[in-house]
Amino acid sequence: MTRECSLLLPRVCAALADPRQPGSDDTCLEKLLDWFRDLTELDPTVKLLQDNPCLTEFISSVLALPEPSPSILSFTLRLAGILAASEIRFQHLQQEKLLIRLFGRDGPLNSAVWEDASVRSGWVEGVHSMMHHQPALHFLCDDGSIDVIFTLQGDPSLFVASAASQLLVHMLTLSVESETTKPLSTKDCDWPACAQMIIKRIEDSLQSSSASHIEQSLKLLTSLFGSCRATWTEVLWLGVAKQIESFLTEETVQAQHMLANLFLNMAWSPVFCDAEGSFWALVTSALEHLTPVQAGPLAVGILRLYKCPQDVRIQAVTVLLQPMDCILRAASQPLEYAGLLDESVSDPTAVESLLSSKSSCASLLCQTLAHLEELLSLIRLPVDLPYTSLLRSLMTILQFCNGFLCPASPLGSMISRILINSFRVQRSALDVIAALSEKKGGDSLIGSLFDVLLAYLESPNTSPTVLKKTFQATSKWLMRLQELSCSNSQWQQTQKILEDVFLVLQKRLCSPCWEVRDSSLEFLTVLIKYLRDQDEFRQSLLSSEVPRLTENLLEDPESYVRASAVTAVGHLAFITYFASESPVVGNQYNKENTVAKLQEILSTDPEGFPRRAVISIFTKWLRQGCTGQLEDTEQFVSRVIQTVEYDLDWEVRLGGLELVEVFCSQTICQLGLPECPYAPVSSAVTSSIHQDELLQIFCRTKLFSFLFRSLCDCDKPVGQRACDILLGLRSSFYPISTLKDSQGTGDSPARDSIAWLQRTLRQGSLAQNFLTDGGNGVDFQDPEIMMLALGTIDLEELHDELNKSSDHVEKSPQSLLQDILATVGTIEENEADCY
Amino acid sequence: MPEIKVTPLGAGQDVGRSCILVSIAGKNVMLDCGMHMGYNDDRRFPDFSYITQNGRLTDFLDCVIISHFHLDHCGALPYFSEMVGYDGPIYMTHPTKAICPILLEDYRKITVDKKGETNFFTSQMIKDCMKKVVAVHLHQTVQVDEELEIKAYYAGHVLGAAMFQIKVGCESVVYTGDYNMTPDRHLGAAWIDKCRPDLLITESTYATTIRDSKRCRERDFLKKVHETVERGGKVLIPVFALGRAQELCILLETFWERMNLKAPIYFSTGLTEKANHYYKLFITWTNQKIRKTFVQRNMFEFKHIKAFDRAFADNPGPMVVFATPGMLHAGQSLQIFRKWAGNEKNMVIMPGYCVQGTVGHKILSGQRKLEMEGRQILEVKMQVEYMSFSAHADAKGIMQLIRQAEPRNVLLVHGEAKKMEFLKQKIEQEFHVNCYMPANGETTTILTNPSIPVDISLGLLKRETAIGLLPDVKKPKLMHGTLIMKDNSFRLVSPEQALKELGLAEHQLRFTCRVHIQDPRKEHETVLRVYNHLKGVLKDYSVQHLPDGSITVESILIQATAHSEDQGTKVLLVSWTYQDEELGSYLTSLLKKGLPQSTA
Repeated sequence: MTRECSLLLPRVCAALADPRQPGSDDTCLEKLLDWFRDLTELDPTVKLLQDNPCLTEFISSVLALPEPSPSILSFTLRLAGILAASEIRFQHLQQEKLLIRLFGRDGPLNSAVWEDASVRSGWVEGVHSMMHHQPALHFLCDDGSIDVIFTLQGDPSLFVASAASQLLVHMLTLSVESETTKPLSTKDCDWPACAQMIIKRIEDSLQSSSASHIEQSLKLLTSLFGSCRATWTEVLWLGVAKQIESFLTEETVQAQHMLANLFLNMAWSPVFCDAEGSFWALVTSALEHLTPVQAGPLAVGILRLYKCPQDVRIQAVTVLLQPMDCILRAASQPLEYAGLLDESVSDPTAVESLLSSKSSCASLLCQTLAHLEELLSLIRLPVDLPYTSLLRSLMTILQFCNGFLCPASPLGSMISRILINSFRVQRSALDVIAALSEKKGGDSLIGSLFDVLLAYLESPNTSPTVLKKTFQATSKWLMRLQELSCSNSQWQQTQKILEDVFLVLQKRLCSPCWEVRDSSLEFLTVLIKYLRDQDEFRQSLLSSEVPRLTENLLEDPESYVRASAVTAVGHLAFITYFASESPVVGNQYNKENTVAKLQEILSTDPEGFPRRAVISIFTKWLRQGCTGQLEDTEQFVSRVIQTVEYDLDWEVRLGGLELVEVFCSQTICQLGLPECPYAPVSSAVTSSIHQDELLQIFCRTKLFSFLFRSLCDCDKPVGQRACDILLGLRSSFYPISTLKDSQGTGDSPARDSIAWLQRTLRQGSLAQNFLTDGGNGVDFQDPEIMMLALGTIDLEELHDELNKSSDHVEKSPQSLLQDILATVGTIEENEADCY
Repeated sequence: MPEIKVTPLGAGQDVGRSCILVSIAGKNVMLDCGMHMGYNDDRRFPDFSYITQNGRLTDFLDCVIISHFHLDHCGALPYFSEMVGYDGPIYMTHPTKAICPILLEDYRKITVDKKGETNFFTSQMIKDCMKKVVAVHLHQTVQVDEELEIKAYYAGHVLGAAMFQIKVGCESVVYTGDYNMTPDRHLGAAWIDKCRPDLLITESTYATTIRDSKRCRERDFLKKVHETVERGGKVLIPVFALGRAQELCILLETFWERMNLKAPIYFSTGLTEKANHYYKLFITWTNQKIRKTFVQRNMFEFKHIKAFDRAFADNPGPMVVFATPGMLHAGQSLQIFRKWAGNEKNMVIMPGYCVQGTVGHKILSGQRKLEMEGRQILEVKMQVEYMSFSAHADAKGIMQLIRQAEPRNVLLVHGEAKKMEFLKQKIEQEFHVNCYMPANGETTTILTNPSIPVDISLGLLKRETAIGLLPDVKKPKLMHGTLIMKDNSFRLVSPEQALKELGLAEHQLRFTCRVHIQDPRKEHETVLRVYNHLKGVLKDYSVQHLPDGSITVESILIQATAHSEDQGTKVLLVSWTYQDEELGSYLTSLLKKGLPQSTA
């Protein structure tokens, strides 16, 4: 603790304990606790308490208040807990009899303030914080306060209930791990006293008839097995296993919904997953007995495990595939298609009845689809999935949803009626279809899949959110289609599909709904990014109206759409102008026109998004070497810098700096300075001619004035980036050994102007009229002066200064203490106010 | 008993960040998804892990509703939808949808300026989130699904702010968000119809305050600005890009015009244009006066207020500058503050709340020596004024809204515990309804008594009218029928129709009762006595003596036998159908009293 803070702390404590003062802002108290947590973690000794007796005095005075405010009492409980986290400080507070008065039977827990949830929460958190040593454990257990914690598991406040459950897990683990002298076994199970109390309560609750007690104990066991992987957990489990097993079969006890999580946490623990047979038999039984909705999360969790018997995995897959199988069977004539599952494996009645009920159909499908998507995202799938049938089933769902399929079977017609227009199911199914594109299989269905996707893209009933997902799925499958058509020369089919896609895209680009226009443009950009090398793609795109419509959208009234149009047009350019063998005929696509249009957006668009998009496209072009020869590029960069350096949007200015950075490194590379790893010439500054040329180029593009000006930008990230670039440039021009020599050279007027620059930069964002009058004699286009500036100005110091976050003062404990003190005695009205 | 459950994850006895979960008739709705500006870590967002212990959020929540664009009501939305993974529908009004991203971008900018910021959303995330939003019109009933519907009402407060009614079947909840019951310069007062919701969830920021007239505060503000400008000083007003800024702009613009003042007024960011664009676009959401004058002159096209360039800050002479951000925590407003703080002629006016740690908070609490970056100490000599312009309903306004909506229960959020307690008592006393004020994480359960609509079959109605009783609205009347609950609907049909629909066979149920009578005569004589007695008493009924010796009264059958052990006692076996239950009970009680002597 700094001296300033220790001087402020006693006054802060006095203010907090003064009931006449208006309550302090909750965030202040929270941050104060954060600070104490940091302080105590670093030093377990009693020094903090001895050096700052105001802390114990504060606790005593709060305890002495006849009616302490709940927030201050809660703060005191939590503070005391944090302080008592080390044994020695715990003893110190015990001697002062503070802990017993705070956490014991005669403390707040038997007073009226206990009604306040924040006090109960403070009590639990305080106990949890101190629970790091045996004396704390005994303090709680001997006092009988453990009963309080058990009661709090059922607290009306979710926060308190959950914290109480976590606390019990922590206490149980601490008790067993710190107080057991010999390894525990089922035969000789000698639990330490505190653990014994907790375990007894768990066992009793599990046997009780109260659903909430059972639920609490299951929750406790779930988090215990999730956090503790020690062997003793098995001994505990064996004591309750029978009872828990019975919950699977007894319908009188409503605890099944809790079991999936419990078993999953156990499955992750080596204690159980390595066990022979019995645990996996239980999991198998759970997959059988739980309802399809309850079993789903368990099934997907199991399939994520590395260690698991194959037959359990197969059963888990069955659980997930069953609804999909049901859909397929409901939609098709018998024996028309192979199902997803061998019928004899599972009984589909439960799933069928859920799917045929209006209230459960969509939710079961959405859950199953989400699980399948999760499964498909795994890098290594532990089981084979029938991808083709799965895809067919997904297509069926989508056709149910848009009314394209109304099967004759009673179940099929029922499901199709329920699902019609269900956006939720549509979105989930499209997500899985997109994920399936990365798996091998389903190629034979690709034609019909695109029929379904195109129907969605075309339909006016498709909602904007569903349309977005359809675009995502379509783009993924188009990539897949390209791969396929390369290998098996199905280019005619590909050509037809692409033409259809662009036809529908034309329509969507003219949608009255900005969300749709935006998603369409994003879709186009993705397609160009990944497929621009494919001939069929380029031809279909350029022979459609899409490019023209995209350019039109540069003038869209919605700024998000203009920004997406800029990005799309920027990518289109890779096909139209920058491609080595440009397929463009005639003057339809004029490069200069497009550049001019984008340049105009950069300088005149009233909103930030389109301008940001332009600068990022320009940088992309520059990176890919599309801006022409060095001279053209120089002019291009210079023009861009002049446009962006006064931009009101800091991200545009930041984007400008990124462009400058790319330009610098490319130019340095081209002229062969040694720092560039790809430089054709590797000797140290092969000649000063190169260096001079470089400096001249940089000066001509006016990038130095932009960089130095940016150092004083009121938006810090801009200053930081500029400083990084200048440091990079310096290291290019001054190898470390020569840096010192350079300082102090140069004639006197130059030195004066550099000194002025140095002073100005020190003022940072407060610098006045920086550069507007030509920089008070600093010529930013003079290579010599710039060389001198790079060598002289202390960029490291600036870098450190800029890298301090703007809130480093704000975040300091001293500032916090000052703020708390400053609010003492202020008018209350300010606090209640909000935005 | 059906119930409504409410759990605040934020705004439960605080004004930090609003996020309230409501379960009504099996539907789960999240009201607002706000962010706490006072924290830089995960604590700034509500802890969404409490929403569902098992299962996915999207499956659990039926929709999210955002009341208005302030960050403490919508700031966590992109995090929730793009990072936590909620993929369901989000509703807000059109202006809120348009303005939300501006403020979210504004705040995102501030956070990237800070070190160690993690878990924060990107621009792309804000856009993707906004694309999921369904915009609603005022008073438009939006069907979220077949059962759940929502409807927005005007709330004043800020442009686009709305109160929402959430309705499932005949159960309903109204959530006010932040609202204002008195019109201000550019917005109207909140209004709701007498919708009698089961529960009204209302904000209670000014639960104990009766606010002075806004006019006084405005006069005070103008006076202070005027005085400073007159003596050649500069006035800095740190604001968020949208909201209060526009109100104050109108105020100054009109004052400058009236007083013919020449000192320049600037607005510091490029956002002004966009903000004003939205105010123009959503003119119907502003108040009547602005709408009326719109034809002659648009209030938001300012004559005196110009765009600010950072070089202007060093110009000599008086000026007024609106600069963002509003709490003086970074960016341009802080830069100008640092330039002007040293001159006692200047003034800074803070028109809103500032979180701890910010320069705004420090100067408001009276600190005059501030440590800046690089250990520099900034001495604040300029005048510091706080002027609350936030547009919330005061205690009177809250009571007025309750009177308007006539809820069956009230629940207070977005306020301080102590003040809520006071208002709660007042509400309970005056309106005789239960009032709740749960803390964050605490669930309040409210039992409802919904009236359930039942369809009556035409056949049944016709039969009733055939009896001659014409329906009369003022006279409720009893109808017999069979209630069929099928496919989520209730229908009252005739028993015959019910049997037919359900494919059931009819069973006849008869009640029997034995009555002992002391009568030494022969059985048939006893029967005759009973017959005569009943004929005398039940004059309006058809009483018959059948040839087999039994008596019938309507469907009721009476047979007499001698007691097997005691011939002096006769046993009357009375049996009747369910339909004649009333008459059957009456008859048995009549017979139990015995026969009158005179009928002999």
